[in-house]
Formats: sequence, C-alpha cells, structure tokens
Amino acid sequence: MFRIPTRHGKFGRVSNWVFLLIICLVAFSLSGCRDKPDAASEGAEADTGKTVLTAWAHHGKSVEWETLQKQVARFNASQKAFRIELIEIPEADYNTQVQSAAATRELPGILEFDGPMLANYVWKGYLQPLDSLISAEVRSSLLPSIEAQGTYQGRLYAVGVFDSGLALYGNLAQLTAAGIRIPHGIKDAWSVSEFDEILARLSKQGRQNGGHGYALDIKRDYTGEWWTYAFYPALVSGGAQLIDTTDYQSADGVLNSKAAVRTLQYFQRWMKAGYIAPNTDGRAFIDGRVALSWAGHWEYPRYSKALGEKLRLIPLPDFGGGTRTAMGSWCWGITRNCKDSGAAAKFLDFLMSGAEVLAMTEANGAVPGTRTAAEKAQLYRPGGPLRLFVEQLDTCAVPRARTPAYPVITSVFQEAMGDILNGAPVKKTLDRAVRIIDENIEQNEGYPPSGGGK
Amino acid sequence: MKLPRGDTVWGWIMASPAVIGLLLFMVLPFVVAIGLSFTTYRFNSPLPLRWEGLGNYIDLLTSSDFLRAVLNNIMFAAVVVPVQTGLALMLALLVNQRLRGMSVFRTLFFMPVIYPMALVAVVWALIFAPAPTGLMNRIVALFSFGHVQAPIDFLRNGYLAMPCIMVMSIWQGVGFQMVILLAALQGVPETLYEAARIDGAGRVARFRHVTMPQLRNSLIFVAMVTTILAFRLFDQIWILTRGGPNNATTTVLYQAFVASRERNQIGLGAAMAVLFFIFVGVVTLVQHFGVRQHREIQ
Amino acid sequence: MSKSIQNRHLLLSYGLLILVALVFVWPLVFMLAASVTPNEQVLARASGLGALLSRDWTWSNYKSVLGQLEFFSFLRNSIFIVGVIVLSGLVVNSMAGYALSRLRWSGREAVLAVVIALMVIPYEALAVPLFFEMTVVGWINSYQVQIVPFIANAFSIYLFYTFFNSIPRELDEAARMDRASPLQTFFHVAAPLARPAFASVAILSFLMNWGVFLWPLMVTRGPGYQPLPVALGYFSANKPVRWGDIMAFGTLMVIPVLMVFLIFQKGFVKGIARTGIKG
Repeated sequence: MFRIPTRHGKFGRVSNWVFLLIICLVAFSLSGCRDKPDAASEGAEADTGKTVLTAWAHHGKSVEWETLQKQVARFNASQKAFRIELIEIPEADYNTQVQSAAATRELPGILEFDGPMLANYVWKGYLQPLDSLISAEVRSSLLPSIEAQGTYQGRLYAVGVFDSGLALYGNLAQLTAAGIRIPHGIKDAWSVSEFDEILARLSKQGRQNGGHGYALDIKRDYTGEWWTYAFYPALVSGGAQLIDTTDYQSADGVLNSKAAVRTLQYFQRWMKAGYIAPNTDGRAFIDGRVALSWAGHWEYPRYSKALGEKLRLIPLPDFGGGTRTAMGSWCWGITRNCKDSGAAAKFLDFLMSGAEVLAMTEANGAVPGTRTAAEKAQLYRPGGPLRLFVEQLDTCAVPRARTPAYPVITSVFQEAMGDILNGAPVKKTLDRAVRIIDENIEQNEGYPPSGGGK
Repeated sequence: MKLPRGDTVWGWIMASPAVIGLLLFMVLPFVVAIGLSFTTYRFNSPLPLRWEGLGNYIDLLTSSDFLRAVLNNIMFAAVVVPVQTGLALMLALLVNQRLRGMSVFRTLFFMPVIYPMALVAVVWALIFAPAPTGLMNRIVALFSFGHVQAPIDFLRNGYLAMPCIMVMSIWQGVGFQMVILLAALQGVPETLYEAARIDGAGRVARFRHVTMPQLRNSLIFVAMVTTILAFRLFDQIWILTRGGPNNATTTVLYQAFVASRERNQIGLGAAMAVLFFIFVGVVTLVQHFGVRQHREIQ
Repeated sequence: MSKSIQNRHLLLSYGLLILVALVFVWPLVFMLAASVTPNEQVLARASGLGALLSRDWTWSNYKSVLGQLEFFSFLRNSIFIVGVIVLSGLVVNSMAGYALSRLRWSGREAVLAVVIALMVIPYEALAVPLFFEMTVVGWINSYQVQIVPFIANAFSIYLFYTFFNSIPRELDEAARMDRASPLQTFFHVAAPLARPAFASVAILSFLMNWGVFLWPLMVTRGPGYQPLPVALGYFSANKPVRWGDIMAFGTLMVIPVLMVFLIFQKGFVKGIARTGIKG
C-alpha cells in the first residue's frame, strides 16, 4: 500500500518496542498493586480479629523513626484486642499530607504533629480532647511546657514525648580570653546591653586575631520555622508578642509595638555591624569563627564533640523582661476519625511512660517530656550538661501563639525577620506584618470557636 | 492543494484523546479555580464559604506586593528570554558539529536541567555565599583587584538579588532550550546545505539562509516557552531568596504560593492564577498568531 | 580548507566546549564528591575548591539513604508512573500535534488556541480543584491519580505541532494521495520523520514528571504509591542538615534521568538524516 517500505519497517520496530514497554510497565504495576496497605483503613483485621488503629508519625531522623518502630512493636506485643499500624510521613511536608487527608476524611486515628499547629487543627475539627482519655498519672507527670503546648482553650489535645530547648552555646576559651562574665543560670542571664558590648568585644578580638570579626551565629543557613521559633522569645523578653494574647484578634500595637521595634533593631544593628556570621557551611561555631551560637538542643552532639570541655550552655540574653526561650516539638493527638479512642489513649499512655520516654529521648537527644524521665536522663538530670534546658522549660519558656492563625503568623514573621536582617526599616516591616495578620484574622471572622466543624 | 475529505472527522478522532484529557484535567479544574477566585475559599475551613465577587481581584490590583511581583516578572522575562534563547542557539550550534565526543558534551550541557532542586539550591547558595571564601566573592575580589569591599551578600542585596536569580535561571534552563533547537537543527535536511554549498554559499550565508529559516518555528517555540517559563518563575525564588530582600525578587507565582499554601487563601491564590493566565495568555497568543500571520504575508 | 585552519577551528571548538561544560557540570562533580563525603564535612569543604575529593571518602551516606527508606519501592513507583505518562503521552500528544499541523478541520483553530492558552496555566492553580475532582472519582491513593491527569500535555502537543509544521509536507501528502487515512499516514510516514521531536518530548516530559512532588503529597496516603521526590522529605528536614545523605539521594535520583537522556538523545542523532529522506 505504501511505497516507503524502509520507513514502514523502521517504525514498526519502534512501535513494537514501545508496546512491549507499556505491557511490561502495566504488568509491573499490577504485580505491585496487591500488597499495598490501605493507609487510611481502620477496623477489624480478618485473620487475627484484632482492631487495627492507624497512626501517622513523622519520619525525620532515622534513629527517631527506628525507635518509634520498636516502641510500636513492643506495644503491639503487649495488646490482645488491637494493634497499631504505623505509617511514615516525610517530615518535610507533613502538614500538606495532614491537610489533604483531612479534606477527604482520611485522617488516621492517631496523629503525630508539630506542636504549634495544634490550635489550627483543633479549630478545623481534626482532634478530640484528651482530658478524659489519658491517664491521670501521665497527665500529672508532664513538663509544664508540654502541657502548655498541648492545651487550647482550656482543654488538652496532645501530649509530647519530648520537648525542645533553645539557648546560646558559648566557646569558653574565646569568652574567657575576652574577659567576659559567664552567666550561671536563668537568673543572671546577660542583659541585652551587656550582650551588645560582648558582641563588640568578641568581634574586635576576632579581628585582632586575623578573623572576619564575626561573634554570633544565629543559623542564617536555616529557612522556615526556625526564624519564628528562635526569635519570638526575644520579642517576648523585650515586652512584645506575636499577637495580642488576650483574645488573639489582632497583632496591632503588639507585634509592631515600640518594644518589638526596639528588640528587633538590636538584631539589625548586630547584622550591620558584621557581628553575625553568614554560617553558609553550618560550621561557624565548630570551626571557632564565632564564640556564640544561638541554637537548639539538636546541635549539642555536634558541638560537644567539637569543643568538649570548652562548651558552655548560656541562657538567651534578657531584652528587658527577663530571659525567655522557645519550646515545642512533635506531639501526639487522637483524631475525631478514631474508631477506638480508648485504645488510642492506651497507646499514648504507653509512649508517655517513663521507660518509653527515656528510650526515645536517649535516641534523639531531645528534652524528655515528663518530669520523671527528665530527672533520669543522662543529659538532662540535675548536673547534666543540658540541665539548663529543663530549667528553662520549667520557668521561662513561652509557647508560640496558640491560635488557628499561627500558620499565617509564622509565615509573615519569618519574612519580616529576613527583611529586618537585610536592613529594611523595622517599624515599617512590622506594620506590614501586622496588616497581613489582622487581615487574615478578619477574613476568618476572628477564628470563632467551631465546636469541631466538619 | 486539494485535501481529501473527511479531515474534520479524522482531525477530531486524532486530537480527541488529548483534547479530552486537557478538558477533564486542565480546563475543568481551571474553570473551578476561576469560580473559587470569587470566593473566600479556604482548605478545610469550618467557616461557611462566602461569595466575594471581585473582592479578591480588587485586593490584588491595589496590593503593592502583587504589583511589585508583576513588575519583577516583566523585568525578569525582558532580560532572560532574549539572552537565554540566544545562548541556547549558540550551544545547539556548538554541539551540532560533527565532532568526536559530541554526545558527551550534549549530555553535559543538558545536566543542569536534571539536577534535583536540593542540589541546585546548595550549590548556588555556596556560589553566592556571603563569605570571603564564596566562589562569586572570590571572582569579584579577583577582578576588582580588591577594590570591592568583600564579602558581598549577593542574594540579600536589593540590587543584586534579581540579577543573581537571572544568572542561575539561565544556567539551569538553557539546556532545555538547547535540546529543542538541537532537534530542529538535526531536522534540517542535509540536501539544503548541499544545495547551498553548490551555490557557493559560505558558512555565514548558509547559517542565514538555510539554518535560520529552517529553525524559525522552533525558535518561535523556544522563545514562547521561555517567556511562559520566565513568567512562571518560582523554584529559584523559593530556594534562594523567598521573595526577598524586601520583595526584590517576589514573583506572581511566589505570591500565589504564599497565599494558597502558607496562608490558606485558596480563593486569593486562584485570583492571582487567573490574572496571571489572562496576562501571559494574551502575550503568548499574540506571539503565536502575530508571528504566524507575519509568515503568511511573506 | 587548509589543514591548519581546520585544526585551529577544531581546537577552538573543543576549547569552547570544554569551558562551557565545566560551568554546567561542576554541580554534578560536586554532588558526586559530596555524596561520598562525611555529612559533617560537605559544606566546609565546598568552599575550598577541590578539597571535596579527599581521601576519607565513604559509602556511608548511600548506606544511610538506602537503609533509612525503601528506596527501591519509591524508585519502582517513580519509574512506573513517569514511564506510563511519557509513553502514552507520546502517542496521545503527537497525534494531536499532527492533526493540528496537517489536517484542516473545523475546530482546529479553536483547539490550537486552547492548547496554547493551557500552556500558560500555572499548575499550582489547578492543584486544589483537581484534588477534589480526584476525590469525587475515588482515585485517591493510587497510581492512576498520578498518571492519567498528566498524559495529555499542552506543551508536548505544541512542540509536536511546531515540529510537524517544519518538516516537508510532500511525503505525507503523497501518502494521502494514495488514499491512506490520516491515521495511517501519521503512523507510517509522519511519525518516523518526527523522531527528534519524539525524543525531545520524551526527555522533557520525563523531566517534568520525574521531580513532581506536591501532587503526590496531596493524593497519596503513606509510602505505598509515592514516587521518589517525596522520599527526600524523610531526611531533608533533619537539623543539622545531612548534606551527604541528600547528595547521595540526589545522585541515585539523577542516574535514571541520565539513562533516559542517553537513550533518547540517540533519537536526535538518528533523526531525520538517516530515515531515508536524505539525498
């Protein structure tokens, strides 16, 4: 029929290959389809008759994940009537997965999530209160910070196995060389004017020693939540807040108050003066380019390995109202989707038991979430190298704004922090942030109590 | 010439799988998105959905952030489209030579297109690192003989951030355009070159009178795609500057991302997408049909 | 042309090629080197050029990546999803491109305009409505939800359209005179001529879909159907960032892309020149 036989033949061969490939791909997929667990399914298991409860947890640090897997296995072995099915969710995009699953009503019965999201999740009706579910024993042993993080409008919605700690890490050798007073604890934290002077002195010393004159590392290489987590405590210490915490209806006069402007101007000045290291390679402190690092508990293993005896944990500077620090980490809640809340609560009780809290925090190095565990943990017991974190969480840690507007507040504040460090006028930047936050609250009708919603 | 009858039937038959796919998975959702842009829609919000009318659009057109984003997009496209298309053509010509090892070079030039984002991010953050050891700072120090006060914080400097993004974008995207132009170059029938050679045409003349006319369609395609991609600028911004400093690198899609993903303002984000669509759509259709008519007149 | 001029030209060409290649390839070198550098050292050594390639290289990053997640299950999902999109996309979109370029049909102009307009729609705008569409269809947490919506692609159609416009009409018109149907003409005459276009569309659509991760996050629940880019999230949020792991993962993720590129780029070379039209 065609007079172009060569091309005909050639195409015939190509299309055969393509056809074969498609067949292979289809066969390959069908073979893989059968053993896929349905992540959202909850209910009775046919063969064992056990009730299956699904739990979502973040998979970040591998030791953390492995420990959790072992914990779940231990729990399942001890239970006759039900079984926990653990689903791993990548840490980096956790909230997206939760929000999407909620939209199709496929949230698991047990949900781990990042603390500051709590109010938002409660407002959207994802979670149920734990007050009558978890044991009184667990409840009374919680660190005050864990209790504060888990509470929204007077009810407890989540419990955390561990908490986080934020402070300054100091290089003792460099600090003493510059003749700087080292605070012993929360009470005698550096005042901000003292801190200002210290930075100037360290910078000068660094320059004299042939360095670039950096004195402080504030993790400029991080992006995202860090910028709220690490710097709203300074705001609070300086007498401001992210939002008016009496009714959470406006940030005006709070986030853009004189106190807030004054506090953040310090950071801008330190930036301009060249005290703050770029820290592009994440090693400014380890390599001795700075004497101070504004960082979280997760830096301890790395820092102590590099500095050994020369490492000191120092409270954050006092911006006027006493030193303040951050708190909050991953925590566990029970969703309204849960088929058997009692069983789910048993699992939470199990995770919060002394031995399990220790097992987890020894693996990931975080602050134990119960008082009993904190007294026993190597790093955190009285006299332990990180004891300051426990003391801080007991006395001067402040929760991030507990409002459903938090995702917006943090996104706006992160941007504002970036701009301020880059030299933008502080008051104007904060005014803009306030405008966006207030607009958002207004658009959401003030986030009225929803009673569970959908 | 005369065409056989039944083209309409065949046209629809052959186009229908694609057309149905586009209708179901692009047109339909986009129509829904247009609908959402008139509302206060928020993902999973317990509040009742409210009709906003043109509210979102009015908010946008009076928002200095959004207008700055539009301006940045236009600036970016005005620089990147001609530069990148020109470079892509040069590269395509370079690797279209009949030389040993050319497939290796072709692959290497294409590499940036396939790098994972995390890699590109860290590599360019290091290049632009505001430390004296940063690559770009070293280069600046070398060529200015120490006159420029190092280190410069390129990505956090209001004047330099956008040019840095442009450099990175061209670097990452040029391989993509090169591949398309290369396919077109390979498609130029050898007979045309032979005929030109017989007519005594030199290298330059052959390029002007054979290559360029043959590449015309592909060049138009490349310029069009580059324009669209330039307006879609987002990834580099997200990775390197997050729209900063002080909105110097914010773009329409960055704003849309922040609105819909970080602030859960799906309605507002949809309104941005619709405005974006209208604006870039008009530019693209004018480019396409304008250029084509020009050819028909010729 | 004299020998020396030819040599000089050759030298110049290679010099230029190598220079450009260096600019484009050094991130790859960086990635490969970093993937065998201890996590701690990656960024520290990156600023001192060349220091990366030191003696204490290690496979531990690869071990940690492969041990931490079921890499091959993610890889299998990715290959299947992207493979089906690319292959069926080639068929569907090339037919449409051909119809738009060669056939005169009522509705052609309209379809063309729609295709061009659709190239412009930012995908992000469609995510939420498409998500609800998929919920209604009941495809959440499956392969098809990640495949079917992405087969028809306006960019690919337009690229085929452009390419068919630029190849001579005489051959397929001859076939049409022989009373071959447009479909037959397309499969037997036009498509073989368009091999370079098939190759570039295959590469580009492979790339476009290989890195996608926002959509799978929305429509999958747990790792069963998730593709590779989602897996990066398992360790990219770690603090301090484990750059060695990320680079090892990046290397593993780039290898399939590189293979696809190498396979399909032969399509360019073997393009039109060798299909019999020459001479």
